[in-house]
Amino acid sequence: MHSGITVVLKAEHLGSVLGFPVTNSLIMAWVVMALLITAAFFFGRSLTLVPGKIQAGVEWAFEGAIAYMADVLESEKLARRFFPLVASIFIFIALINELEFFPGVGSLGLVHASTFLPILRTPTTDLNFTLALAMISFFTIEITGIATLGFFKHAGKYVNLKSPLGFAVGLIELMSNLGRLISFSFRLFGNIFAGEVMVLVAGYFLPYFLPAPLMGFEMFIGLVQALVFAMLTLFFIKLAIMEPHEAH
Amino acid sequence: MQQLFSAFGVSWNLLIAQAVNFTIVLVALWYFLYKPVGAMLAKRQELIAKGVRDAEQAAATFARADSEAADRVKAADTEAEQIMTAARDSAGAEKARLLKEADERAAAIARDAETRAAETHARAQRESERDIARLAVLAAEKVLQERP
Repeated sequence: MHSGITVVLKAEHLGSVLGFPVTNSLIMAWVVMALLITAAFFFGRSLTLVPGKIQAGVEWAFEGAIAYMADVLESEKLARRFFPLVASIFIFIALINELEFFPGVGSLGLVHASTFLPILRTPTTDLNFTLALAMISFFTIEITGIATLGFFKHAGKYVNLKSPLGFAVGLIELMSNLGRLISFSFRLFGNIFAGEVMVLVAGYFLPYFLPAPLMGFEMFIGLVQALVFAMLTLFFIKLAIMEPHEAH
Repeated sequence: MQQLFSAFGVSWNLLIAQAVNFTIVLVALWYFLYKPVGAMLAKRQELIAKGVRDAEQAAATFARADSEAADRVKAADTEAEQIMTAARDSAGAEKARLLKEADERAAAIARDAETRAAETHARAQRESERDIARLAVLAAEKVLQERP
């Protein structure tokens, strides 16, 4: 059927619904969403005043995350406002990454025109997903900046006509902020995709033995990358709500 | 740029679809997870705060009851002492009065006895004088009768 290593950079189209393309990463995203929302629904309904072990753990994480965010943002109110976004980014990406090597992901598929099309593909190995999250993060950061400082003050960080140096700094700031779209999306995509390829390659070097520890390592990387994405969103929000430095 | 996007399979439809997916996750987690957990934490915090408040209040009430009891015991002690003193005082006064009365009565009896004795004496004297006078008269009569 197929031999050698095939690395497909983009998510495969499996078909289309009402003219809308459906890729395997989209299907996997829906599966993860269904798992996550179902779990959240039943967990949220089972909350009790005297917590069990799972509830105590979730509450500990909840309170710890909000306390940490309040520390970073220097405001309990802002922490509570941005907690849902940051936490959802972490939870969604983490769960997707942890299911990367779940049996069936990437291995169950259809053969179409003598090419193998997996039904499920980890969404974080599809640039559409990581770029979409990067854009959500990016717009949240910029809109927060505008909402907190006002449009002109926020724009003044990028377009500074007070001095040539200030202008150059503003331009660099603008480029680096736009660059976040790329760094956010490619960091996550690159890490997870590379991990998948590495496990694939390792299977040829030392089949059965090498991939398993590497999968464990990649699951750890997946957790770290989810944390990195969420934390960077948090830190950039903090940068966006800070007053621009006055010219000395 | 177009080449890059096509190499990675990036398309607007898929970008929007994934953004919508994340938004659904965000809203669902918000509604099913963050809100109930936050509410539960707030509820428990309120409950614990109330418990601590109640305990403080109970301790304060207990302390107040304690000091009140001590005060009452002290007051009762003072009152008892007062009653004892008063009783002792009034007993002393009664004793003194009784003694005085007894003294007076004894004095009265003595006086009475004295008066009566003096009266008896005086009467005896008067009677004996009368007797003497009568005897004198009788003696004089006798003398006169013998000398005719």
